[in-house]
Amino acid sequence: MNSLRFYLYSAGVLAPGLASLADLRAACRSGQPPLAAAPLAPPGPAALPPNERRRASQVVRLTLACIEQALRASPFPVEMLRSVFATDEGTGEVGQQMLETLATTRQVSPLLFTNSVHNAPSGYFSIAWRNRQSATVVSLGLESFASGLLCAVTEAAATRQPVLLVAYDPALIAPIDELLPITESTATAWILSAEPVDSPALGSFALELGPAGAATPTPLPAWLPQRWAAHSSAHALAALGLLEAAPESVCHLTLGGQLLGLQRMDGGAT
Amino acid sequence: MGPFPLETSVLGMLATTVVHPAGHGTAALWDAVAQGRTGLRRNDLAWCDLPCWVGPVPGVDETTLPAHLQPWDCRNHRLAWLALQDAAFRRAVDATIARRGAHRIGLVLGTSTSGIRSTEIAYSERRETGRWPAGFSYRRSHAVDALCRFSAEVLGVQGPMVAISTACSSSAKVFLTAQRWIDAGLIDAAVVGGVDSLCLSTLHGFNALQLLSGDICRPFDAARNGISIGEAAGFALLDRAPAAVHFLGGGESSDAWHMSTPHPEGLGAQQAMHMALAVARLAPADIGYVNAHGTATLANDRSEATALTAVFGERSVPVSSTKGVTGHTLGAAGILEAIITALTIERQVLPPSANLGTPDPQLTVDLVTQPRAALLRDAMSNSFGFGGSNCTLIFGRSD
Repeated sequence: MNSLRFYLYSAGVLAPGLASLADLRAACRSGQPPLAAAPLAPPGPAALPPNERRRASQVVRLTLACIEQALRASPFPVEMLRSVFATDEGTGEVGQQMLETLATTRQVSPLLFTNSVHNAPSGYFSIAWRNRQSATVVSLGLESFASGLLCAVTEAAATRQPVLLVAYDPALIAPIDELLPITESTATAWILSAEPVDSPALGSFALELGPAGAATPTPLPAWLPQRWAAHSSAHALAALGLLEAAPESVCHLTLGGQLLGLQRMDGGAT
Repeated sequence: MGPFPLETSVLGMLATTVVHPAGHGTAALWDAVAQGRTGLRRNDLAWCDLPCWVGPVPGVDETTLPAHLQPWDCRNHRLAWLALQDAAFRRAVDATIARRGAHRIGLVLGTSTSGIRSTEIAYSERRETGRWPAGFSYRRSHAVDALCRFSAEVLGVQGPMVAISTACSSSAKVFLTAQRWIDAGLIDAAVVGGVDSLCLSTLHGFNALQLLSGDICRPFDAARNGISIGEAAGFALLDRAPAAVHFLGGGESSDAWHMSTPHPEGLGAQQAMHMALAVARLAPADIGYVNAHGTATLANDRSEATALTAVFGERSVPVSSTKGVTGHTLGAAGILEAIITALTIERQVLPPSANLGTPDPQLTVDLVTQPRAALLRDAMSNSFGFGGSNCTLIFGRSD
């Protein structure tokens, strides 16, 4: 098959010790993970109306703060962006609050239910920036980023519109973290296009789908904390390391019975 | 940067399968829907005491998965398993695997809450005993992707897969994702679908929003006051090969308005319908029937009727909601109503809006109130969800 080309124009990064793409690139260059940092506490999203801002859940704060970063360097008007949100257990603390309420009083509040749907972050994104384009939330366990990347790049190719891809994992709390060991929040937001535009890209990439076993899946690099091994979005952070790698470098991601090869091409500004 | 529409492939619906509150299979579905005979009943669930109506799939509690699939056991996968027992559907998938190769068949499935009922039960036990129940697997029941992994295992397809979770538009959006993957040359065929199962989360959640009716749901009725929740599993096999009914294209949009209330004029819905028409290269007058989202909440039906009027004109296209028969099956509503829309085209009969007393005179749509024969070529299905997520699909006859 032909590979799918795309151009990455902007990226936001939000994780303990990694507050920006610049932080991530520095960690990648040093080969060392960031020093242990305090848990993230993103503020209420400034783009939301005050009422909604106060009530924004942990995962809405996480994703919107990360998107805000990416938008700052985006060459596209935000209203043009289609969006793909990729997450594993994307409801975070809210999911647990829902379970606790249902196991006890069953007095679910309207806000709790509203925040407990998987597409709460994408819904708030569209409200915050008055974005009326398609927004999709996808999931594939630890392979959520790989599936989201495939969806985002094929959407960009099919529609010839720029796409915002957000890969994220909100921290879980006890006892749900006994089932899924995601104890810190990590997120990244990519703004990509299938066609080059008149603005410098961070890098250009080729995506290729092949049978599992054609290559070894790329392990989490040493410059990322190994405690994020259970985070689907850690693979998205690792993939951003390709911006510091030599042209032609490849990151292999498992995707169901397939393997997704993400290759850095020439032409990106470094 | 080019605007829509771009070339998209037309896909044959080679086979479908479904289980729903009115029974098992497409024949039972059509039988109930074409007559407007409801599959809903007063809530008699042993584990939920809300005064509402529900649409459980017959036999789900008694269903057991075969031994090798036991680790996947949960209400959601029992529904999927029941639907995947359809022999004709399985033969069609097997034939496509033989012709195309298992790795050339993608799997794109929607769900809003996956197997969350299992976690609701397990969480209660964890609170009581301090331990998770033996054998409980979040990964194989409640994780959003569990449905994909389970279905791939049952069907033997090996192409790329993804689960979509955008509330009530989830299993409508699967058609567009599959179409993009086929157009990109990643796959030649796809199994699309969706499954959602009754659980405390959605029953109590919609109750909290005062959107759960104490009565049976009555879409487009003057006295409508909320939804009834049903459950369903549905799958369709899409392929470049021709079939009796084709998926012609769709449109997706966001309201950018409110998390749980649709835009009053249905601006996002209008945008999704216009985009679907443009991609399918059709004019509004080409559409012979619209299977509405029609949830029976005050706000949805008003907003959708306003949007339909804006796109088609006043009372210009026959419209009905089949949720009076099936209930709102949430993340499975898209595939369920896609299958109903395809059946409508095949049978050349428009299904009525069920449970109707007095149609709301303020809604300026040509509401189908009795089964109606029609010469029908192309038809539309709307799915709108929480978070302002809209998706419109268009299906058409192949000849």
